[in-house]
Amino acid sequence: MIFLDYLYNLPNSTEGLDEIVTQTIDIFPFFTPMILFFVFMVVFIGGITRQKSRTGTADYPAWAVVASIATLLPALLFSVSSGFIRLDWLIIVVSLNILSAIWFFLDMKPQEV
Amino acid sequence: MTSTTQITLTISLVMLVLFVIAIIGFSIGFANDNNAEINIADDPELSSFYTDAKGDLSDYKTDSEETYSSILKTTIEPGSDVAQSSGSFAITSGNVLGVTKNIVYLPYKKIFGSGSGFGIFFTTFLAILIFIVGLLIYKSLRGNP
Repeated sequence: MIFLDYLYNLPNSTEGLDEIVTQTIDIFPFFTPMILFFVFMVVFIGGITRQKSRTGTADYPAWAVVASIATLLPALLFSVSSGFIRLDWLIIVVSLNILSAIWFFLDMKPQEV
Repeated sequence: MTSTTQITLTISLVMLVLFVIAIIGFSIGFANDNNAEINIADDPELSSFYTDAKGDLSDYKTDSEETYSSILKTTIEPGSDVAQSSGSFAITSGNVLGVTKNIVYLPYKKIFGSGSGFGIFFTTFLAILIFIVGLLIYKSLRGNP
């Protein structure tokens, strides 16, 4: 019988599904930011690509706002229990919302300026 | 800058402030309602910004009402079609621009930190923003510079 050497200790799956995620994040802290980055990019690139294929152009700032709000929602859900997300990551997600909003609201057309 | 552009710029800045207040308020409210372990209200800088922004917006409401009243009382001399004073821009651009500066500074500080070498980018961006608004006000008063 061959026993495989794991790079990390496997999470204890008998303590519930959330504990598996918590233990995974404990071993690999960048897990949560990667999930949030994945959500952001899926909405951002997916929205832009789909709008371009339908209309020929894409509203980048608007999709940035939509994607950042879509990222904030799972980040807030993660914040309910400890061990999922750190405070500084949550603040960075909120900051991302603010930056997207700045881009969106100050994106005036040339003829308007 | 036409009056339409002035309205567009003002509404953009006010909507930006409202959006930021709504996002931060929702995040804090969500955390309080669900007894969240991680609450952005625990961050003192973000909390103070949230309080200040709400206060600034309340001041903006009061000032805009006063400006609206003064605009209604304005008399224009016959044959004169150029605004003689930039007083009407004091609320619409100047006041909201101050809140906007804080809004731009907050994410910068949270992501890059206060002692970062990226400070020159933030300073330059704000300088350009102030320069553009100043130029727009001048353009509306005196025509193309």
